[in-house]
Amino acid sequence: MAACVRVASLVVRDYRNLASVALEVPPEGLVLVGDNGQGKTNLLEAVYVLQLLRSVRGARDADCVRFGEAGWYVEARGAFARARTVAVGYDVRRRRKLVRVDGAEVPRLADAAGHLPSVYLSPDDQRLAGGGPAERRRFLDVTLGLASRAYLASLAAYRHALAQRNAALRLARRPGDALEAAAVWEPMLARHGAALWRGRADWVAGQATAFAAHCAAIGERVPVTMALRTPGAAEGRTDAESLEAALARQRPHDVRRGLTQAGPHRDDLALALEGRDLRVVGSAGQQRTAAFALRLLEAATLRAACGAAPVLLLDDPFAELDDSRAARILALLDAGGLGQVLLAVPRAGDVPPTLSSLARRTIRDGAVT
Amino acid sequence: MSAIDDLAAELARLPGIGRKTAMRLTYHLLKQPAEQNRRLAVAIADLSERIQPCARCFNLAEGELCAVCRDPRRDASVVCVVEEPADIAAVERAGEYRGTYHVLGGRLAPIEGIGPEQLTAGALSRRVADGTIREVILATNPSLEGEATALYVQRQLADTGVRVTRIARGLPVGGDLEFADGVTIAQALQARREMA
Ligand SMILES: [Zn+2]
Repeated sequence: MAACVRVASLVVRDYRNLASVALEVPPEGLVLVGDNGQGKTNLLEAVYVLQLLRSVRGARDADCVRFGEAGWYVEARGAFARARTVAVGYDVRRRRKLVRVDGAEVPRLADAAGHLPSVYLSPDDQRLAGGGPAERRRFLDVTLGLASRAYLASLAAYRHALAQRNAALRLARRPGDALEAAAVWEPMLARHGAALWRGRADWVAGQATAFAAHCAAIGERVPVTMALRTPGAAEGRTDAESLEAALARQRPHDVRRGLTQAGPHRDDLALALEGRDLRVVGSAGQQRTAAFALRLLEAATLRAACGAAPVLLLDDPFAELDDSRAARILALLDAGGLGQVLLAVPRAGDVPPTLSSLARRTIRDGAVT
Repeated sequence: MSAIDDLAAELARLPGIGRKTAMRLTYHLLKQPAEQNRRLAVAIADLSERIQPCARCFNLAEGELCAVCRDPRRDASVVCVVEEPADIAAVERAGEYRGTYHVLGGRLAPIEGIGPEQLTAGALSRRVADGTIREVILATNPSLEGEATALYVQRQLADTGVRVTRIARGLPVGGDLEFADGVTIAQALQARREMA
């Protein structure tokens, strides 16, 4: 297996403002230089689509279609986790996404994710540390889902069963009927919910030390820690039996509120600065440091899962950092074997010295030259 | 032009038929002899007039009871519970099963507005209350919805004392009973288990 994931060439058509881009990518990577709004973020976003099959920014597929076009298409050739070619296309009229791996159509989208492992770093990442719990739950689910098919399967089943139970709580006309109708979703919620809790708790336990060390290495002098908080677990018990019992116990309450209270959908990956909530007491700089540390863990987790360093999609993430901080982050990434780098910056002078040897291309009005 | 558009619009509502195919079918029908089109129209009209749910098991029936319920050689003390009539055809193709059926008319899916009241689970409870049924085999699909539906029916029957079994997961997860092959269905029926 390749020591890192390498994109050799890239084709993007009608993705946001990118009408038609065909790009050769050197093994160590590429710097894309372009003013804001010219399409450099869109190009990195398109590469990320080949991993998660949807926008890293949470945009809907239809909203990523270049104005007036029938759909978008992204294709990469190179050396990936289990393939040499990955292509994703979206058709507006049929509202359908098609994934081809080595030329063959993948019938189930759930089987198609993760072929081109990548980690996306941008200034928006501050939200990961400073935003609400949903941001960090999504981080955990994406990272663990890409690293483990079992986690991904449990996540899909859990979300589906949770939506069904919540709908059942509200559907019945008599409260007694709602109790019966809600109850039948609980054994599977408990089984899959406990699997999610196990996956998250194991990951946090395994990475907590590295997280604190990364924050210190990036330059944070105050100790930063992370822990899994589980408000949806009764008395902190996260096994399937306890969750099933909690769901049954809270059922009448859930019927009144129309919402399921118990379960991992209320988790938070709590980040703390000397024991106090980083979201409240942390400066913007401290939150960005913690977010970088999480991205480093994400890269390490993907690397461990697929045996190759993921592609680093760097969307001008070092904009407000001094060179030494950027250099330390890159050194930390390099420690695990730096993957191929796609760096997008507004000006050539914004390239950190560590990456100054990368080939440079210019992007203007959606065209790469 | 509206007769053409009307028919194409109706055809396009059928599963697996898009707008293009609907237009192609419409132009094909235009070229056929009028008599042939009349026979097609009568056959379609007859379908909804002559075929109705079986009064006992909700299978498709011409007349009050379906062919299975009318057959004296079928073991009426065993009832196989399925989601749709098409699932009965699949189990029958396997050729292993000699009992009768009960069609729920779908599966629990509250997101789509389908709760217990939208299914025939209540009618099944009343059938079991008669006392002639000794075993109910739950053969809903092995999807999340199918499992939840099986659990619901099992709980509804818990106090009746009837034996309730669930077909084994020889069936592909995420697959539909309707499209499973006969061997798989036969094995799944063989390996059915008690529901705890
Ligand atoms: Zn019948």
